[in-house]
Amino acid sequence: MGLEYVKISPGFERYMPRDYVDLVKMGQFGRQVDVMDLGQFKELVEDHPMCAGCYMAYFIRIFYASLPNPEDTIVLGTAGCARLALSQAAVPFIYGNYGDTNAVASGLKRALTIRFPDKHKDVVVIAGDGGLMDIGFGMTMHSWFRREKFTTIMVDNEVYGNTGGQESGMSPKGVQLKMAPKGKQFDKINAVELAKVAGCVYVAKLSPTNPKRIAKVIRRAILAARHFGPTFIHAYTSCNIEYSIPTREVLADARNREKKDFKFYEWMTDEVKEYFEEMEKKEVKA
Amino acid sequence: MAEEKVIKPGPAGYIPKPAAFLGVDTPPPGKALLYGEVVDEETAMREAAKAMLTRRNPTIFPGPLVLWGWNSSAIEKAKAVLELASEIPNCRIIPMPDYRPKYPKINPEAEINPNHPNLTILHNRIEACIFVGVHCHYANLSLRMIRAGTNCFTIALCAEMGHEDAMVSLRDVHADDIRRFKDVVVEMRKELGIEWEPKPPPENPSLPKEEWTDVSPLDFGEYAYLLLPRKGEIVEESE
Amino acid sequence: MMVEQKVVDPDYLILEAPRERKFITGSQAFAEAIKRANVDIAIAYPITPQSETMHLVGDLWAQGYVKDYYRAEEEYGAMSAIAGAVRGGARAFSATSGPGLLRGLEAIVSWPGHRIPAVLGVMTRVVNAPLSIQPDNVEIAYLLHSGLIVLHAENQQDVFDFTLAGFPISEKVDVYLPVVVATEGFFVTHAKGYVELPPEDMKLPPRDPYKAPVPPTDCEIPPARIQRDAPVQKSNFMSYLIHAVWQQEVWSANERARKWIKHYLGGLIEVVNPKAEVFIVASGCAAAQGREAQRYAEMEGLNVGLVKIKSIRPFPAQELREILKDAKAIIVPEHNIVGWLCKEVKAVIPNGDRVVEGPRVYGGMTLPVELIMDEIYRVLGIKKAKKTLV
Repeated sequence: MGLEYVKISPGFERYMPRDYVDLVKMGQFGRQVDVMDLGQFKELVEDHPMCAGCYMAYFIRIFYASLPNPEDTIVLGTAGCARLALSQAAVPFIYGNYGDTNAVASGLKRALTIRFPDKHKDVVVIAGDGGLMDIGFGMTMHSWFRREKFTTIMVDNEVYGNTGGQESGMSPKGVQLKMAPKGKQFDKINAVELAKVAGCVYVAKLSPTNPKRIAKVIRRAILAARHFGPTFIHAYTSCNIEYSIPTREVLADARNREKKDFKFYEWMTDEVKEYFEEMEKKEVKA
Repeated sequence: MAEEKVIKPGPAGYIPKPAAFLGVDTPPPGKALLYGEVVDEETAMREAAKAMLTRRNPTIFPGPLVLWGWNSSAIEKAKAVLELASEIPNCRIIPMPDYRPKYPKINPEAEINPNHPNLTILHNRIEACIFVGVHCHYANLSLRMIRAGTNCFTIALCAEMGHEDAMVSLRDVHADDIRRFKDVVVEMRKELGIEWEPKPPPENPSLPKEEWTDVSPLDFGEYAYLLLPRKGEIVEESE
Repeated sequence: MMVEQKVVDPDYLILEAPRERKFITGSQAFAEAIKRANVDIAIAYPITPQSETMHLVGDLWAQGYVKDYYRAEEEYGAMSAIAGAVRGGARAFSATSGPGLLRGLEAIVSWPGHRIPAVLGVMTRVVNAPLSIQPDNVEIAYLLHSGLIVLHAENQQDVFDFTLAGFPISEKVDVYLPVVVATEGFFVTHAKGYVELPPEDMKLPPRDPYKAPVPPTDCEIPPARIQRDAPVQKSNFMSYLIHAVWQQEVWSANERARKWIKHYLGGLIEVVNPKAEVFIVASGCAAAQGREAQRYAEMEGLNVGLVKIKSIRPFPAQELREILKDAKAIIVPEHNIVGWLCKEVKAVIPNGDRVVEGPRVYGGMTLPVELIMDEIYRVLGIKKAKKTLV
């Protein structure tokens, strides 16, 4: 069904609040939008309580505009900054317990596969570095070992932003944060390599400087998860508060990191590569 | 010591006990609840109709299950709700389109939200209301908060087993039952001698008055320019 | 391998269908219930004494009775995945024991608030430390304040009946809470008893996730936004009451389960000799021993009764007040050191000094009937030569 549940009952168009009417008439449901047209259609997420200048909020905005099938997508999150915006989006969102996203997503995806064997229901986890690589590490890894067919996106701000700025496993070595008063004692976890060895079929690492490329990566990660297995995106989404990055320098910081340790990286299995090549050939023809 | 299990309009206090703790149970099939007591549907409907006809600013709060046309019975039910609304003098429709705690705040004239229903009730001085098409869990949250903090007479037209915290709760309510209730409203209106030509309630005040056919970038995302700098553009300041 | 099954009405399957007597273990009784429960998915992590039950459920998956099954990474992952599957509209089952239950507890105690209808088998054992795998039911105490429905099975028959009835009770629109079926590890799970089973070619109707107080998260039903897990910390766009009324809803739902427990299980309690002077009040395995003690006492001409508590949550407060109103003494035998049942009983009846705190055994000890008899003699003022139990 998918689309039916985002259509207003006949007669009620004149009683719905404006933002819902706009969502249906000028939103993304049932059509593909171009991320470069942002601002010219009603977006799935608008108002949210994330900090001004937050780069994670920007990434999430691009994420929603990139969904291949928003009316059949379920997003899961956990404690942390991202859920502040995720819970305001016009896409079903599951907020479970601390770090449980990839276990909940495993159960959810399996249930949807049992109930709707002939449909694509896209399941996407968006959680932070703490949620996926610290508290939820075991569940993240095991969902990959089990080859669960959903997408995991790590919005890595290198800190526990929402709880007040504590060190995470993804913080760079030496950085002084709360709970790391002498500076972090060990290196940033290499999440991308972990994802590859654990069985992800598509892995990407990026600093979100290029919206078109972000959109392409998100789309690819979701489509590959539908057909082949787990997919993973590691995105650098700075915390301008805890790392004291002036708002006007947030983009420059992202570009700077892109030159250093967040150089764009994309890896996929041969099978997935073949699938995308086929798909892109068809798209060119069309 | 047994507490009084009369469920009447509030305000019932800072944190009143839910009706289920006081021993109120949902009505058996074919029956209804009136002030926490099991009664015939007819009796409950008449009392509900009277409240909607005599109390100030009667309002219907339709929930997602009727607002969205997700199947044919939802669409039929939505039609019946509109028919009912047009028979209640000066009735308003204020929707509950979803259940998220909406940031930064709701427009209380345009919508009701289950995380803070009192905003809408108090802002509009609503003294009688009908919940229909709201999932039971969220309806119960709202009904309790409304009974705690307002003097609103609550009526639940429930498609499932009913709601203990409403002043009137009907159960297994579908399109036909809503029409049956509408007939009771019309009958009661005549009994009370209220003159009324059926007409649809006013539209949602948040909707623009003109025909809204196109959209400009200015309408959405006031930070668009900040977040999406054009090539070569240097952003000098933020809010 | 799999028997062709037809869907029948839950009332028929649970209350009316003809039954055949089998001699099976408690673990097998769990599996026999799952076989007839039309379960979509079962997920678990190994722990003694639960493992055998989930091995058998795994076999049911291999045979086709259960649609999906996997061994999870650990209990927190298992219980979280159950919550995901149930949100997705599936009917789910899991089971665990002692330390495993505590490891999964953060997820499990969030099920009621997330409105997750599922059935969880709890095969009780000692909670470490020091390590032991033996019977002890102290873990049930951790479940009592979370909104879960907690049923406590006395024997293999109860295990079967409570588990099968657990699904319709849990999925009632006015309940929609998880049901825990607890029973004593080893004493029940690994011992055989007679169980009356309905035919295996019948099963419950599939779960209907749209008949629910919250929508399933399956993109088939509105609203297209956050549906059931709203983070609701106090702020200017949420009422000061929002979390309070949410908790009230969970416990109201727990209250509403009473009528369904009565419907499917014949009541929250079972009473033997309602006019007794002295009552044994017990649940689970201790009720089996209490039953024996009541029989001995009757043979000796003593006016002793038994109240078996089947449902710990919701707790049968009114029933206990009524049946115990003229009791001279109330003996509460238990398989744990803290005496959680004793505290529950004391809290709901007048004149709590009538309650004898014990006998209690724990750490893997059995509960000899003689221990209960000693208390009966003592409260009735009967002098007996003390026998030493070894």
